Amino acid sequence: MIISKITNWLAPNDDRERRLVIKYAVLTVAIFLPLVWSFLSIRNLYPITAWNVMMAGGDLERGRSYCVLRGETVSGETIDIRPIKLTNALYSRTWTMVNATIGNQSFKLASIHPGNEELVRRYGGVENLPPGVRLPDLLHVWGDLYNKQLPESSPQRLKAIRLDLYRWESGRYADYDKFIETWRTEL
Amino acid sequence: MAHGIVNRVVPASAFALGLVRAIVHGTFLISVLFTSFSALGSLPATILRPTGAMKLLPWGFYDHLQTPPGMLILKSAMVLSLLLGALGFLTVLTTKTSFLLVLFYQGLLRSFGHFNHDEMVAVYFLLVLAFTPCGDAFSIDSRLRKTKNERPLFAYAYPILLMQLLLAWTYFSSALIKLRVAGWKYLSPDNLPSLAIFHSLDNLHDTGFRLAFWLPQVKEYLPVAVGFVLVWELLFPLAIFWRRLRWWILGVGIIFHLATLFLMNIFFPHHLAMYLIFINWDRFSPHKHGPSASKT
Repeated sequence: MIISKITNWLAPNDDRERRLVIKYAVLTVAIFLPLVWSFLSIRNLYPITAWNVMMAGGDLERGRSYCVLRGETVSGETIDIRPIKLTNALYSRTWTMVNATIGNQSFKLASIHPGNEELVRRYGGVENLPPGVRLPDLLHVWGDLYNKQLPESSPQRLKAIRLDLYRWESGRYADYDKFIETWRTEL
Repeated sequence: MAHGIVNRVVPASAFALGLVRAIVHGTFLISVLFTSFSALGSLPATILRPTGAMKLLPWGFYDHLQTPPGMLILKSAMVLSLLLGALGFLTVLTTKTSFLLVLFYQGLLRSFGHFNHDEMVAVYFLLVLAFTPCGDAFSIDSRLRKTKNERPLFAYAYPILLMQLLLAWTYFSSALIKLRVAGWKYLSPDNLPSLAIFHSLDNLHDTGFRLAFWLPQVKEYLPVAVGFVLVWELLFPLAIFWRRLRWWILGVGIIFHLATLFLMNIFFPHHLAMYLIFINWDRFSPHKHGPSASKT
């Protein structure tokens, strides 16, 4: 009986059905084969995805750096600015974009942007680039986007925007905000 | 036989698959409509790090695209394609263009930031829909068509099963990877508090919840909570085959994703929206087995 059922399944009623089964089998393999490879190698190769979200877990002993975006208004106030309100497309991704920009990651690709190539030549090598060499460009964009939301006469407009880098040295649940460095851009 | 099993465990009608098409395309459509593409186009192309297949495109292309007008063109194309895909007009074409456009756009976003996973399962759903007869019902195409498509119910049921399997895979494989990489250390009392606090320190995350700072006070109980989540992820595939357990598993999923929002400022709205694939849409069908399907 089992054999007859398997035979039934392998030999569907007509050609049209058989084609459908083959089509869906190909679709399934085309989707799951790369996913299984990605899973086994724990490697994301867009668009092939390994669901490795937070796979390593947290480690209290490991120090971590983080950034706070701030603006200096025309009226002299310093305010916190959430970049999600400026570039909402980068939902869930802003913090890693900033970390990568600080680490000059866009200069460490096999093929780098011609504008970045020029900058590398000027500094005499990737290793000579200061951290966050492209951060002023990013800060400028954010500052301009912020100011565009306000009338020309508003005292809340920014005259400068900055990114403050802090470090949680860790080992304990305290002392979260050791100041490290700042990048400031006049607007 | 296999057809019969598939047809029994998932909704088996052209209507159900059509509704799923509308939900997946509609989710991306809403997301794109509320996104400022001109702001995205203001970002310098020099901070891009093309990821995976995105490396195949030349820098000149990114330079032209990464401008407010370039992004306006991309947004317009996406809105048009996703809208038509959601409505089911020229479905054979628009499901494919929607898949390609969303795939490209999501790749672009990941080239600025990191390979985050929120939208990925929905991108895979678009791929499934692009190659299945999801326009046979609940679509403009089906209204305009003079002759009905005669297809076995399996043609509509299997794509839904495939999408459910994909969603289950995301959790199941995620738990296995955690166990492979971190092992039992994943259950350390400091795992969750240190991760959650790190994600609550900056103002670059999308929300600013500070609940994470309360976690160290209850850290001795957290290995149980983390272990529970791991077991839930491993059991997620049961939601496909065991209807009684399904709503518990999905309910825990909703609580889990809300917890990551309030504790870690990390949220997966697209992923959560894809839970709708588990609803038995046949119940809402005006025709019990869809307008055009033949029973197999």
